[in-house]
Parts: sequence; C-alpha cells; structure tokens
Amino acid sequence: MIVFIAEAFAGLFIPPIRFKEFIQQLYFVANKSLVIISTCVCFAAVVTILEYSFHLKLVVQNDSMVPGFATLLILRELGAIITALLLCSRVGAGYASEVGSMQTTEQIDALRMLGIDPINYLVVPRLIACVVGGMILTIVANLTCILVAMLISQSYLGFTPTMFLSAMHRFVDFKDFFFAVVKGACFGAVIPLVACYYGFRCQPGAEGVGKATTNTVVTASIAIIVIDFILSYTFSYLY
Amino acid sequence: MTYVIGILDEVGGMLLFFRRILRGIFYKELKIHEVFVQIWKITSESLLTTALAGFFVGAIMAVQFGLQMAEFGALGYLGGLATSGTIREVGPLLIAFMLSGKIGAYTSAELGIMRVTEQIDAVRCLGADPIQELIVPRFLGIIISSFFLLAGGLLMSILGGMFMGQAFAGVNPQEYIRHVPTIVTPFSILSGLVKCGAFALVLATVCTYKGYTTSGGAKGVGRAVVATAVITMVGIVVTDWFTSFLGDIIIQAVQGYRQ
Repeated sequence: MIVFIAEAFAGLFIPPIRFKEFIQQLYFVANKSLVIISTCVCFAAVVTILEYSFHLKLVVQNDSMVPGFATLLILRELGAIITALLLCSRVGAGYASEVGSMQTTEQIDALRMLGIDPINYLVVPRLIACVVGGMILTIVANLTCILVAMLISQSYLGFTPTMFLSAMHRFVDFKDFFFAVVKGACFGAVIPLVACYYGFRCQPGAEGVGKATTNTVVTASIAIIVIDFILSYTFSYLY
Repeated sequence: MTYVIGILDEVGGMLLFFRRILRGIFYKELKIHEVFVQIWKITSESLLTTALAGFFVGAIMAVQFGLQMAEFGALGYLGGLATSGTIREVGPLLIAFMLSGKIGAYTSAELGIMRVTEQIDAVRCLGADPIQELIVPRFLGIIISSFFLLAGGLLMSILGGMFMGQAFAGVNPQEYIRHVPTIVTPFSILSGLVKCGAFALVLATVCTYKGYTTSGGAKGVGRAVVATAVITMVGIVVTDWFTSFLGDIIIQAVQGYRQ
C-alpha cells in the first residue's frame, strides 16, 4: 500500500497531465455529491444545535453560549468529517467498483499493453479531483451547516441572526476555516488512494468486486477517523 | 421530476420489501439457528472495526470539548459532557456509519452475488422461501448485533476520551469518570439505544433490499453496493434528525401531561 501511495504521488509530477479526465472526475466528485452532502449536513446541523443547547443547559444552566460553541464545533469537526464520510461511501465505493470491474475485465492490462501507465491514467486524475473536490465540498458543507444552525437557533432557541453572527465573530478565527479546508483536502486524498488500491487488487468475478468495495468503504472510513484525530490533536496546539 | 419519481419509487419498493420481511418474521417459522449464526458472524467480524472507530471518536470528542471547556474554565465537567455527547448523539451516529460501511456493504454484496449467480432462484426452485431462509436471519442478525457493537464502541469511546483527557487536558481518569453519573442520565442511554435501533432498522432494510434486487452481473453487484452505502448514510442522517425531533416532542408531551 505504501508503494502504491508513493507511486501515485510520484505520478503527480510525471508529464502527461490529463486535464480533461481531471475535469470529468471533478464533475463526478463535486457536482454529483453536492445535493446529498448539503441535505445530510442540514439534518446534522439541526441535531447539533439542539443537543448542544441541551448539554449547556445541563451544565451551566443557560444556553447563551450555544451559537459560538456550536459554530466552532461545526467548523472544526462536524462539517469536515460528515462530508468526508459521505464522500467516502459515495465516491470511494464508486471508484472501487469501477476500477475493480476494469481489473476483472482485463481493461487495465489492455491499458498497460497500449503503453499507458494505469496509475497515471486512472489514479492521478482521481486523486487531484478528490483533493480539490474535498476542499470545495467542505467549504460548502460548512457554510450550509452554519446557515441551517442559524435558522434553527432562531426558531427554537430564540437567537436572532444578528446575535448568532456577532457570537460567531467573537469565537471564530480565520484559522478555524483554514484548518477545516486542510482537513477536507486530507480526507479527499485518502479516498481515491484506498479505493484504487483495492480496485487494482480485485479478485475476478462478482465476489471480488463486492469484496473490494466493502473493504474500501471500511478502510477509508477508519482511515478518515484516525486522520481526523491526528489532525485535531495537531491543530489544537495551533489555535 | 423523474429524479423525484425515482426516489419515491425506491422508497416505496423498500417499504413493500419491509412488509414482506415483517410477514416472514411473524407468520412463518423462524430459523432460530440461522439467526444466531448471523449474529455471531456479524458481531465477531465487525467488533474490531467499531471498537477502533469508537476509541478515536471518544478521543476526538474529548479534544474538541476540552478546547471549548478550557475557554470556559469548566474542565471538571469535561468527562461528563464528552461522555454524554458521545452516548446521546455522536457515538450512535458514527458507529452506525461504520456499520453501514462494514455490514451494509457486505450483506448487499453477499446477497447480490447470490442473486447474480442464481442461487436465490435455486433456493426457490427447491421449494423454500428465500425471504424466510436468507433475508429474515440477516435482518434480525443485523438489528440484534448492532446493539452489541454499539455497546462495545461506546465503552471504547469512554476509554478513548479518558485517555485523551489525561494526555491533552490534564484531567485524570478519576476526575473524568466522577461527573459521568451526574450528567449521563438513564434517559440519555435510552435515547442512544433507541437511535441505534432505528439506524439498524434502516440499515437492515436497505441493504437486504438492494442486495435482493441486484441485476446485471459483476457490474450490477458493484452498483448495488455503492447504492447501499449512499442510501444507508443518507437514511441514517435523516433518521437521526427524525428520532431527535420526535423524541423531543414526546418528552415535552409527557412533561406537559405530568404537570
């Protein structure tokens, strides 16, 4: 796996850069997942705000700090990780079954015979597209999440948008936003690498494709949670 | 418009399939042995994954809450708050995400392969009911074993939070545990369990339905698995919202009734 990752990153700098392929993949990653991700993030935002107010009422008896804290939690953690997990199930599973069925029908061997490096042709455009797409989707998801949180806190907890925004202004730095984007990029890089790794090693037949897809989703989700922990721990010293 | 109709079609298909499963559970003889085999298989295969995920989720929650509580000067409450947040909300959600990747994708791939290689038709040919033989044991197995997996994941998450509280915020384990009973009420645990049950129901229905209705060879299996992963994740988030919302309304109604 390490060799595969090293080859993929080396492939980033080897000349034939397939721009058209990259644009197609970016369309698949970013545009096609946009609706699902923003819908899910809306629901997550509602739950977060309600839970947060419940807990703060329990501990400090008032919920006047909810907007600031909830926005921080959304920006630092929730937006990035929910986006990444959804992207992992959608894009990761899609790539694994695509590359896996290419492997079982010997299309990858055909590419190699034509003198095209499959890593350069298949992995590199997907890697770049997922990194860029992950960044864009994280930004959109965070903004949607905060917007919905604002609406919900107005109708349920009685914070006007002005109060919400001024609390947000007091609590949130530009750094938080920047680190969220960094997280999105890291999670985006994990997904195609894991998916293509399992896709290339797919056993022939329907069973192999199913197994490759399952392995991809599990490994990528675990990797995302572990990387999220490492990044949170690192960034917590930088705030 | 076709998109909307497609979604409605899918949801309707799932509900009809759910009815068939319920009919299989209640009106036909239950294969007890098969159910236990499935429970053991699912639990033993996924325990490591969920325990690992739970540990890191607990650690992440401790770090995030620790940062905010330190600003507030209430680090003593860190243990109780992080544990309560994990048990009520984040734990069931993230563990259900892991299960949807692990069990959901696995079950739909398994059933899809059976469908594509015509094993399901063979079962019917032999005079047995595939719903009764194949689907019901898996459905019950997923729902029952998800509670075991949730328990394992939550215990690991408390352990991870304790560990991170010591390493990151300097809250020692005794201090971390001390506030757990005051903040975590039996009601919180009940709400976590209800959520877990609802997620498992959605997960089991979707993955058996998508696996059972696979068509089109190896590519079809891949498509079914991808669709399962996406639909279960969306379904879990929507169910999460729904249970919080409904639970809130029920609590308020009960409290109003008491007064």
